[in-house]
Formats: sequence, C-alpha cells, structure tokens
Amino acid sequence: MILELEALTHRYGDELAVDDVSFGLEEGELVALLGPSGCGKTTIVQAIAGHVRPTAGRVRLRDRDVTDQPPEARRVGLVFQESTLYPHMTVRENVAYGLASRDTDAQERAELVTEYLELVDLRDQRDAYPAELSGGQQRRVELARALAPQPDVLLLDEPLSALDRALRERLREEIARIQDETGVTTLFVTHDQAEAMALADRLIVMDDGRISGDGTPRTLYESPPTPFVASFLGRSNALPATVVAREPPTVTLGGREITLRSSARSPPVGASVTCHVRPEDLSLTPSTDAGADGTAPSIPGEVAAVTDVGRRYDVTVRTETGDELVAEVTDDPPTAGDRVAVELPRDRIAVFDPAEYEREHLAAANETRG
Amino acid sequence: MSLARRFPTRRSSRLPELLVPALLGALVLVYFAIPFVAFLARTGAVDVVGELSTPEARVAIRNSLLTAPISTAISTVLGVPLAYVLARRSFVGKRLVEALVILPLIVPPVVGGAMLLTAVGRFTPIGAAAAAVGIPLTDSLLGVILAQTFVAAPFVIITARAGFGAVDERLEQASRSLGYGPLSTFWNVSLPLARGAIVAGIVLTFARAIGEFGATMMVAYNPRTMPTRIWVEFIAGGIDAIVPLALALLAITLVVLAAVQRFGRVPTVIDR
Repeated sequence: MILELEALTHRYGDELAVDDVSFGLEEGELVALLGPSGCGKTTIVQAIAGHVRPTAGRVRLRDRDVTDQPPEARRVGLVFQESTLYPHMTVRENVAYGLASRDTDAQERAELVTEYLELVDLRDQRDAYPAELSGGQQRRVELARALAPQPDVLLLDEPLSALDRALRERLREEIARIQDETGVTTLFVTHDQAEAMALADRLIVMDDGRISGDGTPRTLYESPPTPFVASFLGRSNALPATVVAREPPTVTLGGREITLRSSARSPPVGASVTCHVRPEDLSLTPSTDAGADGTAPSIPGEVAAVTDVGRRYDVTVRTETGDELVAEVTDDPPTAGDRVAVELPRDRIAVFDPAEYEREHLAAANETRG
Repeated sequence: MSLARRFPTRRSSRLPELLVPALLGALVLVYFAIPFVAFLARTGAVDVVGELSTPEARVAIRNSLLTAPISTAISTVLGVPLAYVLARRSFVGKRLVEALVILPLIVPPVVGGAMLLTAVGRFTPIGAAAAAVGIPLTDSLLGVILAQTFVAAPFVIITARAGFGAVDERLEQASRSLGYGPLSTFWNVSLPLARGAIVAGIVLTFARAIGEFGATMMVAYNPRTMPTRIWVEFIAGGIDAIVPLALALLAITLVVLAAVQRFGRVPTVIDR
C-alpha cells in the first residue's frame, strides 16, 4: 500500500470536517476523491501532505507512519486549484526547485528538469516566467514541478476546476497520459462527477466528512451503496415504497406490487424503504398495455411535463400515488396529460432502508444549522 | 405608461468621474508644495556649503548617518519576522500585540521619549546598570538609536505584514511539500515575494529614523543629530540658520530612497 489513511478525523474548532475516514491507494492507482464542496476533501489532502495535523487517525506512506512528520519529510507532490508557481522563478527554476532540496547533483538535476518539461511538452518555455504562460501551460508546469522529485503519491486538489470547459477536458486527458507514463500513484480530488468517472480507476465518494462509497465508477453507478452515491453520480429518481414480501423481495411502489431481483437487499416486511432508479433506465409505454404481464414491472401514471433538453426529452410522470419520476426518452415523446405506463427494469432498482436516509438527513440538517 | 417615462433618467452633464476627487487632491498637493518651494527659495541667501563644513554641523551629520542606518537595521531584523508571524498566525492576545505595534505611532514622539526615559533613564534600574558598565543608555548615540527605533520600527512592521499577507499561503505549502523546511521556505519564497513591501517599509523607517526629533530630544539631546542640531540653530539664528542642515537631511533621505528603489527594483514607494 503506497498511501493509507486509518480512521482519519479532523475538527476545525467544533466543526467536524473529516469523520473517521479510512482508505488506501495501491501502487500506480489513479483514485478520484469525489464529493460536493465542503465535504472534507481538501482537509484530507492537507492531512496527507502534512499541512494539517489531523485531530485523530494515522497517515501512512509506503507503510511508514508520517502523521507526526512535517510536509518536507514526506514525498508528496501537490497541485492546487490555483497556481502556486513561483512568479520570481523561470519555468526551469520552478521545476528544479523541488530537486534542489534533495541533494541531487547539478547535472542530474538539469537532466530531470528537461525530462519532466518534455513530459508536459513545455521544453521551449523553459526560460519563460509563469506570468508569460497560458493557464493550461501553467497547470502543466505545476504538474512537472510536482512530479520531478518523484513523489510517492501525487495529490491533485481540484486541479482543473478553475479552467474553462474545453481546456479542462484537454488537460484531463493530459493528466491521464502523464499518470500512465509515469505510473505515479495519484489521488485526484474533484467535485465534478463526470471528470472523476472519466479519469479514475476507482472512486471514493465523500459526503459530509464521511466516505459514502468506494469502488470502480461502473460499480458505484450501477449499484450505488448509499442513497447519496445514487443521487450524486448521475441523476436518480427516489420513490417511497413498502416491503410486502422477502422471498422473493417484493415492494409496493406507485400503487403496484413489484418483485425485485432476488439479490436485492430487503428489510423486514412492512418496512418503508426508498427505491432509486435512474431516468435513463425507465421506458414509457402507452397506458393501454398497463396491467399486461410484461417482463419488466410497470407503474401507471400521467405525464406531468415534457422538457426538451436537446439530445433527449425529460418526461415527468406523476403516478397514481402522487409521486413524480423522470424518464429519459430519445424520440417521439408523449405530451402532457397522456396516460402512460413506466417500465422499471428489475435489476436497476436500488433499495435503501430508512435508517440510511435518516443518517444522511440528520447530517444535512446539522450542516445547515452549523 | 412606460417605466422609463415615469422615472426619467437624470440628465447627465457627463462630468469626468474623477473631477471632484482630483480637485480635492489638488488642494492637498498645493498645500504640500507651497511651504516646500518657499523654504527652498531661502537657499539663495545662505552659504550652504560653508555652513555644513562647520565642526558642529559635521558632527551632527556623522551622528545621524551612524544612528539612522543602525536603527533601521534593528527595526528590520526584528520587525520583519514579527510581521511574518502576524501575517500568518492567529493566536490568543494577537489584538494586544497589534495594538503594541501601533502604540509608538499614536503616542506623540516626545511622549514616547519620556516613556523611554522612565524605562531606561539614568536613575532606573536598567539605565543605572548599563551606565555602571560604561554603556549609557541616555545622552549617547545608543540613546539616539533607542529613540529612533522606538518611533520608526512600526513602519517596517506594518508594511511588511501587509506584504506577507498578500503572498498566498499555498505557495509556502507547495515549497514545504517540495522538500524545504519553514526557514528555507521563508527565505526562498515568502521573503522574495514580499520584497517590494518590505523595501518600502525599510525606506519609510529610515526616513522616519533620520528625521526623528521628539523622542531623541528627550532621551539623547546630546550628542546632537541633524534634527536636534537644526532645533538648536533655529533657536539661535532663525529660519536661515537651519537651511543648510535641512537641505542636507532632505538630500540624504532622497539619495537613500533613490538607491533603495534602484537596487530593490520597486517602481514606487508604496505600490501594493
């Protein structure tokens, strides 16, 4: 394990920023730490780099406990959202800065600087000052400077968030290439779920100081472990339901009984649960077919609104029980007032018991109060 | 009825936006310039070079050129680290420390001098002890330095603090993560990036120190510095008597200002 956090907890005064977070990074992994702003991501980065001393918990780098070590004693590369290039040094001096502190001889240092400037394709700008570079070039110099001392782990804290969209996507690919070429273990912190899913081997989703999900992008997207992950990664409909049987798991949802796939988690009979299903997994059929014994369960409803979002239509359907859900339709949308049946694929319904909700809502309430 | 007609826009006479502040500023500038020009107009009637080569004038110039740089150096060496701490950390009692830094600025210099006397005067424990080992803290060049430092040091502290405050702390964090300890980070990153403000503070401190009169008069009326000599000559001979030394004082300050700006590469005294 290159990096390991063990029960990391940090408070700023009375405010709990990071709450018992544990995870590890294997050699060469690119992991995205994903979550909304204020969820504790930056505090975790600061604790790994040593700029924040955690209230409790341990930080290990290459199996060495560095919790009590100052930043300069850890081999951690750090890139922030805002440029931290030194304006009084040239590009070359900036990249050489991290090498000069570690007793490399001048010849070797010059070679490494050239090597890393070539890696980010900025050899010709070596004698320029940071102010003379474009925003994208500055980011690349910053990457070269962080990578040149060959850190154990590279921490990228929202490195692309200050850039415009086109540049952000270009640099995202650049980071993927550089990570691939150097093989450096990377923790990429972002609030942008599309960015995280496109780039990372593994996602760690944070919510209010805690880990809400940890897995590959595909797994977390298709079978979210928590309601937060379900709604934060992509869009999700949340519908109230009641458990009516456990073998096989069956719930009443929108006035219909729906049998879930047998592996679904099932609280006791009579429990109120919440079912999550993604808009793109739903399909609409005219309501005349409703009640027919199709392969996918369906619930009847009335079209409340149709929104044309260009590539598709978002159709809002109100069920007989008054719940609303959104279905994505690519062509030939119904019109408002039409009666339709919404088909829900059995294996795409995620069930969460109310306890999980209570915890999340409690946390959210505390946050707004604080 | 359209809103535009109900609320007609006030007919704008399109005066330049900065006309009023510029006029007010011009009044101040005229007020600065008139005494300066009037004073310089007296110089024709006086033998400046001759007056400056009298033994009394030369001693005063020598004393000022000796004490003001030392006071400035002490203020800088002790004040810049304090400025850094104030810019970077909050701690219990920080308000008190900040008030203490401002204190010499708001206390009239002559009162500041009186306060110094009550602390290090000849009949206080500190003053007596120092005098006993042959280092008199009053009526000595050391006394002049004490007075100048007391009055002038806040300038470099306050200006340097603003300079450090303008340096993003993450630049220092990046330096730490690139393998440098706190001291090398201060030397490599914080100090060069705050240089403009620090240099400006040093210039202000020097100008204040070499011109110091009130506190110096209380603590060390002798040996004479340029300002105390100017006072003595004014009492004896009026305005014309002080023109040579006043011009010399002005010239020294201007030369220092120009030199520091040139070697410190700062475009103006206070540019940030």
